[in-house]
Amino acid sequence: MEDVPNKSGSNLGIAALITAIITFVLAVIPCVGLIAIIPGIIAIVLASVGLSQAARSNSPRGVLIAGLIIGIFATLISASQVFVVTKIASSAGKWPMDIGNIIKDVQDNVVKEMDDQDISIKVDSSGTKVEIKAGAGKKDRAQKLEELEGGNTQKNDTLPKKK
Amino acid sequence: MNEPYLLLNLFFAGVVVLVIVYSGIFSPDRNDYPVACIHQKITGEPCFSCGLSHSFSLIVRGRIHEAYQWNIFGMRVFLFFILQLALRIGFSLYYIRFTDSGRPLIIMDSIGSGIMFLIAFWPFIMSIFKGFFEQV
Repeated sequence: MEDVPNKSGSNLGIAALITAIITFVLAVIPCVGLIAIIPGIIAIVLASVGLSQAARSNSPRGVLIAGLIIGIFATLISASQVFVVTKIASSAGKWPMDIGNIIKDVQDNVVKEMDDQDISIKVDSSGTKVEIKAGAGKKDRAQKLEELEGGNTQKNDTLPKKK
Repeated sequence: MNEPYLLLNLFFAGVVVLVIVYSGIFSPDRNDYPVACIHQKITGEPCFSCGLSHSFSLIVRGRIHEAYQWNIFGMRVFLFFILQLALRIGFSLYYIRFTDSGRPLIIMDSIGSGIMFLIAFWPFIMSIFKGFFEQV
């Protein structure tokens, strides 16, 4: 009796090949290439299951092998994009943190420098000279301002009168 | 229809028709595309295929000059899809008419479509490889 090759795994082969080709097209488009890894894995699984069925029943494997190869290629291309995007995203995530740290360092240094220095403000208006000398500390500046304003402080002044 | 080749042709012709319908339904002026660039969302940088949907929509509407401005490779990818639609229909009819032509026709179709695919998507493929080797 002659062996008739049955078509077990044929439908899986078609499904795998269709999924693999669509995955391949998606994988080479950078905008959507990242998500192509999911149908790529599905194509590989379909082709593998189909191949095991075909091996048991001695049915043709051409379509299944084509689906498997294209699926593997597509998944590799998609995986390479996942790798690239992950690298870019991680370096992009690191940069703002670095910049934030630099700004904080500069700010701290400026505040530290200013705390140790005296500030001198000179105002010369139509013969009247006013000189304010103070440290950068808020307390010192408030004290100096209080001294200068003396009794002329008006109601709207921001500094509250000492009781 | 029990022939795998015909089933594949029918399916891919349907996919191309869907691409054309998608490009026709969504308007480049309203900018209401449901598919956003995942690459740009994650990295913040635009990729080589950004603006492809806009480009397709503009080609469908005959605004070719604007289509080139949105994505310079939009036209060649769109032409690939149109050619594939024509080939799927043409090869299917040929396959039904000349049943003996099966294997040589499938081999010729596979090689021809593969070359067309490479020509159409070459800039994208190169950008992917370039990006990969830059990061390794």
